[in-house]
Amino acid sequence: MNWILGPMLLILLIPIYESFQDEDIWQKMLAFASVSTKTSIMILVISVLRDDWMIGVVGVLVLSVGNASLMLLAQVLKRVNE
Amino acid sequence: MTNVMTDWDLAAITALLPIAAVMTILQKNPYHALVVRGILGAIAALVYALLGAADVALTEALVGTMLAITLYAVAVRSSLVLKLGIIAPVNLPEIELDNGASNGQQDAQQNSNPEDLVHPVSKSLEEIFNLIHSFEDPQELKPLLEDLRVFCDRHSLRLELHPVPDRQALDHAMETKEVHGVALVNGDSSAHPYSVTVRVERLYELMQTELNPAISTLSTTTIKPPPAEKPLVSDASSR
Repeated sequence: MNWILGPMLLILLIPIYESFQDEDIWQKMLAFASVSTKTSIMILVISVLRDDWMIGVVGVLVLSVGNASLMLLAQVLKRVNE
Repeated sequence: MTNVMTDWDLAAITALLPIAAVMTILQKNPYHALVVRGILGAIAALVYALLGAADVALTEALVGTMLAITLYAVAVRSSLVLKLGIIAPVNLPEIELDNGASNGQQDAQQNSNPEDLVHPVSKSLEEIFNLIHSFEDPQELKPLLEDLRVFCDRHSLRLELHPVPDRQALDHAMETKEVHGVALVNGDSSAHPYSVTVRVERLYELMQTELNPAISTLSTTTIKPPPAEKPLVSDASSR
């Protein structure tokens, strides 16, 4: 199952590139949401591969916190654009 | 670790961190930089978890990604603003204060219900708030404000208009540093329709090269600091 990390890394590069080349702030936010979710899924996969539940708990927390921070930031940005 | 993943995998994922850091540095708009900082935080959490530091990864996700960018977004929003004082008639609506100052304190004391006291004031505050938000650009300042908005967009500033009723109030707002600059409509005899005065040196330097010189004349002024108050402690130490 170790081969799965390579494709995951390549897929992670797609939103990173998108966030760099697109000037629209909402496109960047979408890329941030994508990266945030993908990295936490990678943390979960690593935790399963290593059978390390401490990393698994961190992966679950990062998965939830990443979306919460996205919501907070989106609210502030929305007020700026009004 | 080596039985789970090769060193190449490890190196490739760790290489994402400097890439994201360089991307953050290259952003020009502060809001864009904040979003990319979020991406950097997410990748950093991944790398820390990968290297076995679960506690560091959790802290990076909670503090670095969530708290830091939210606080910075609020800070950038409140600091990157150009407050411009203009002369414009403000039509404040007639606000009726039922239990207000006209009836004096006796009514306030007799009226024991606290909600009756609070209600008219909060209602009037709401009306003033709506009024401020519904304030539109005055017609005679339109060309200048369009020019200023282009300038503000370029430097990701927010243009905030402070309408005051007369020239005296405008000068007072400038002296008390309520506004960063004032815009005035010149008379018909002048070659330039508008004149802009700013008290911030850096704004003056930027506007000098970027504002349309055909529309407005630009000048700067320095506000004298208020006279120093007498020290509360007498100079006992000098004796």
